[in-house]
Amino acid sequence: MNQAPGGDVVIHSERDIVGARKAVRLAATALGFGLTDVTRIVTAASELARNIVCYAGSGRLRWRGLDAGDRVGLELIFEDRGPGIADLAQAMQDGYTSGRGLGLGLPGTKRLMDEMEIQSTVGQGTIVTVRKWRKT
Amino acid sequence: MMRRDVSQQTTEVTAEEWVRRKEFVGFTEQDAQWLRELRPAADAFVGDVVEELYRRFLACEETNAFFPDEAAVARVKALQTAYFRGLTQGEYGEAYLADRLKIGRVHQRIGLSPRWYMGAYALYAQLVTPRVLAAYPADSVKGQRTLVALLKLMNLDQELAVTTYLAAREAVISQQAREILEIATPVVQIWDGVVAAPLIGSLDTARTQQFMERLLERVVETNSSVALVDITGVPTIDTVTAQHLIETVTAVRLLGAQVVLTGVRPVIAQTLVHLGVDLSDIITRSSLAAGLHVALDILKLQVTGKRPA
Amino acid sequence: MSTDHIAVLKVREALLVTVPSDPEDATVAALQEQVLRAMERHAGKGLVLDLSGVETVDSYFARTITETAQMVGLMGGRTVLAGMRPSVAMTTVQLGLLFPNALTALDVDRALDLLATPEPDGRRP
Repeated sequence: MNQAPGGDVVIHSERDIVGARKAVRLAATALGFGLTDVTRIVTAASELARNIVCYAGSGRLRWRGLDAGDRVGLELIFEDRGPGIADLAQAMQDGYTSGRGLGLGLPGTKRLMDEMEIQSTVGQGTIVTVRKWRKT
Repeated sequence: MMRRDVSQQTTEVTAEEWVRRKEFVGFTEQDAQWLRELRPAADAFVGDVVEELYRRFLACEETNAFFPDEAAVARVKALQTAYFRGLTQGEYGEAYLADRLKIGRVHQRIGLSPRWYMGAYALYAQLVTPRVLAAYPADSVKGQRTLVALLKLMNLDQELAVTTYLAAREAVISQQAREILEIATPVVQIWDGVVAAPLIGSLDTARTQQFMERLLERVVETNSSVALVDITGVPTIDTVTAQHLIETVTAVRLLGAQVVLTGVRPVIAQTLVHLGVDLSDIITRSSLAAGLHVALDILKLQVTGKRPA
Repeated sequence: MSTDHIAVLKVREALLVTVPSDPEDATVAALQEQVLRAMERHAGKGLVLDLSGVETVDSYFARTITETAQMVGLMGGRTVLAGMRPSVAMTTVQLGLLFPNALTALDVDRALDLLATPEPDGRRP
């Protein structure tokens, strides 16, 4: 079994969005995800990193490989001390379309990944955890 | 869920599960102890029991078929003896579990259905009962308890054999389902620049991903400008399938190819309209042939008759 | 990491931009800038964006491309997205991103052909 990759990056400026994408691409590829899945994971990471830059100012991405016997996964945790999401239900509901640029793009991001969990407190911050699995 | 390294395949019964099963039927350490004590007597009568068992197997036409020759019978009798002796070994932990699990897999491989070996257990029970009781002439209570312990263990063994048999069957079914998936979604180049993909069955998320990937890759590989997606073989269309279809069409267009949705039968057309699905952007036709006409049109091609020689 | 340099070429009366594989936001913004300046200098038939090297398209990228296409449209041209990769197309669709103002083509050649032929058949993604 390969050594499960893990690591973290600080997300502070829009430059760091690309840094996050590159790191996640490496991690996902190392875990043996196929090209299409790697693309999905990287895109999801880009969206979530972007949310941090746009709404919280700064935050952190931590990632690690997961091993559950018959499947292998990648977990990404995006954490910030920003304003938090006031209405989570609504954020998860709104459809996202380009050209308008509103919203956090969470429903779309959720579709790209297998699991998504969000903890958010107004005034304190947000933690978004996403995971993608592949069968071994 | 723990993985057993003893066997080559993942088993459905883990060490923890085995403990739970023993608890459920009430197979205790005391039972294990009694069985250990039964060993000498069991070793003495195992020969008889196996002989009797196989007389019955060979006499019955259906089970006879599993023993093509003398050598096969001898081999199996030896295995059976070993199995029976295993019942009185005194240790019924993970090693015991692993060993019994193998039996179920073997049965599945040779096509011996649970019906037969459960029948065999019934025969076993008949054959061992008087013999076990006879081993404790001075203490009939102990004799009965030992017999019950043996029956509990045999019951647990049957459970394991059935579980593994079913799991092995499941594995075959899954594999076949995967293969059907492969067969059902071919993407064929039917002309220079035209691919056709007949869809059969419904489109769940997993199938859609697979289909989309294959379709998109073929479009790029063959440099096709038109993809005919034929849904004649899609029996019903619900919101989810319609959604997936639209996603597929959108993805192909992003590549730079056009999609013609063919095989849209009246009942499907009706459903789509009722679902409020907007297909105004997509070219649709009721048959694959009509779709081909559209494709040729798009490619600015024309079919002409051959001039007679 | 410095911003990738965006080259805008003039080919067969259209503008051609080859988009780098994983552009950062600043690069994408610069792309838009460069395209508009070039459109000003040579009006032409429109813009071809070569996406064959692009590995990730996120919402910002999609938004900027769409805006650029809109702007090109306002200046009298059409925009064609060429050579999008299957993995990117699938992800884009799943994310729900659309490119309403752009045409698409399998490669740059066909994109240029598309721009060379006059409007009508309204092929849109």
